[in-house]
Amino acid sequence: MSSSSPTDDHLKQEQQAVALAEVEEAEQLSAQQPHSAEKALGTDISIARDRNRKASLITFLWGLPGFVWLGFFLVAPVVFIILVSFWTRTDSGFIKEWTLSNYGDIFHSHTYWMSMWKSFLTSIISVAACLVFGFPVAYFLVMKIENQRNQIALFIFALAPFWTSFLIRAVAWTYPVAGREGAINQALGGLGIISDPISALGFSELSVRVALIQLYILFMVTPLFFMLSQVDRSSLEAARDLGGNGFRVFKEVILPQTMPGVVIGSIFIFVLTMGEYGSVRVIGGGNVQSVGTLVQNRISAIQYPQGAASAVLLIAALIVGVFAITRFANLREEL
Amino acid sequence: MGGVRKRIGTWGLATYFIIFLLFIYGPMIIMAVLSFQGRYGGITFPFRGPFQGSWWQSLVDANVPGSKADEISRSAVQSLKLSAAAGAVTSIMAFGLSMAFRRRFRGDGIAFYLIMLALMTPGFLVALGTQLFWKSISWPTAIWPTALGTNTIWGIPFGFLVMLAVWNRYDDHIEEASRDLGANQLTTFREVTLPLVWTGIFGCFLFGFTLTWNDYDRTALLLNGSEAVTLPIQIFAQTQFSAIRPDLYALGSATTGLSLLVILAALAIAMIRMKLAAKSGGPEKAAIRAEETGEVAGFKVGDAPTAAASGD
Repeated sequence: MSSSSPTDDHLKQEQQAVALAEVEEAEQLSAQQPHSAEKALGTDISIARDRNRKASLITFLWGLPGFVWLGFFLVAPVVFIILVSFWTRTDSGFIKEWTLSNYGDIFHSHTYWMSMWKSFLTSIISVAACLVFGFPVAYFLVMKIENQRNQIALFIFALAPFWTSFLIRAVAWTYPVAGREGAINQALGGLGIISDPISALGFSELSVRVALIQLYILFMVTPLFFMLSQVDRSSLEAARDLGGNGFRVFKEVILPQTMPGVVIGSIFIFVLTMGEYGSVRVIGGGNVQSVGTLVQNRISAIQYPQGAASAVLLIAALIVGVFAITRFANLREEL
Repeated sequence: MGGVRKRIGTWGLATYFIIFLLFIYGPMIIMAVLSFQGRYGGITFPFRGPFQGSWWQSLVDANVPGSKADEISRSAVQSLKLSAAAGAVTSIMAFGLSMAFRRRFRGDGIAFYLIMLALMTPGFLVALGTQLFWKSISWPTAIWPTALGTNTIWGIPFGFLVMLAVWNRYDDHIEEASRDLGANQLTTFREVTLPLVWTGIFGCFLFGFTLTWNDYDRTALLLNGSEAVTLPIQIFAQTQFSAIRPDLYALGSATTGLSLLVILAALAIAMIRMKLAAKSGGPEKAAIRAEETGEVAGFKVGDAPTAAASGD
């Protein structure tokens, strides 16, 4: 724009030269530093290396029992489920003769596929229902309870049933509440809403699905509670001040920030409900099959390899499901 | 107008929260109420009085007709032993693993995923796999030690996460100070590290204990038939009787009550410790004081190496 005078140019060049010299000096200093550090430590460096090796050994020793234990009671069992699914059945168990017939057996079993499909559907319904019904609970605790002490007290109170037996909660759900003579049917009958008790409420697919929500919803509320606690309040206020209505603030500000909690809760509920066994037996009263009860039936009939093959397919379904859930989260973050 | 709308929203959510609590607690409350019926009480409403504890009495008194008191007391003792053992194993393993994770090591990423896998694997699969594994190497499965192992697999990752949270807030400089003052590693660990993190370790124990106390899936497949069963197995067996009686509800309420007591105790201890810490300035402050005076938990740090060598 404007032409600069020669003196100005001279001044600039001088400044640049000074700046360059400073940079070079700094670079030289930083290049010297490792050497000076080594010089200062002198022979200590070998001692430091020794100490490092000793620390690694201690780390190894601390971890060893835990990892051996996990190897023995987690890794080896899963590996053996896969191995046995390829072995041959005998009258007393199985022998190590490789075969694919176990998978052929279950691939042709209509009941197996029906149960697998229903289990899958039950899990998906549980995840969705826990999310829909659990979110307002976490939201209420975090956003509407101002006093932090009350907030934590209410959270612990809501969380406490997680520490009690799922089996007993399942029992409590079936006979006194959901059965033909249970409290729900009696209440509906008393109010004149129904004339005959609804038998589908107890010991049925429906009762399993409702009860699983009751049993597992805390697995969704907990991660949502922690994620919501970290949501930046000022961004909420900013969004509202800028005229965002409730739904838009929820969709564009709250949901993206709580997505990790949704993913963690979904994975937990999906995996645990797919693998559910005891509760399904109690709540379903023998009328409902899950993959767990199917495998148990095979084991009782001393068909270990077939049971193992069913379990392998369950593991595969779990891996695919977990992968799909995490993909969903990534997609949401990219959008 | 916005204020009114907001208030309606808050009250709506509060109502919803109460309905949610009823949904979660309702069945257990109904079960507990029905367990206090009279002799002709059934397993559903209406409540058949008088309000009395005879079904509860039948849990412990074998002389009541139809009582399962013997089986129940045997399984309760078995459950207590197994849960205590699982708590101990869980706290040792989870603490050791968390100590290993205080430094980075090769393969720590995979190791972390392995621990999380323990959290994610359905209990039924762990039990099934253990049964197949032990059968392959011709070891018979039983509650001891097989079900102990499968139960801790569920407790260890929870304990591990508790310990990670503890180490997160822990100041490593205290240990450095202790070592600089001449304490060897064993003494530093025993006199400085452990007292600072014992609540976390106790938390691991409680996780291991309650998860095992309430477990069915991880235990049911591993029974050998001759051992005393655990309480959840006993309860399941009673649900399969043709005539279910309110004593099942009493048993369920009693077991649930014990679980809730354990949480209350844990919370009480945590609160007492927090209050004590606030009063005395906390163990961290105590350690810093010890650094200043050169004293760790009663004796001079300078003496520590000899003390550790002569003691134990």
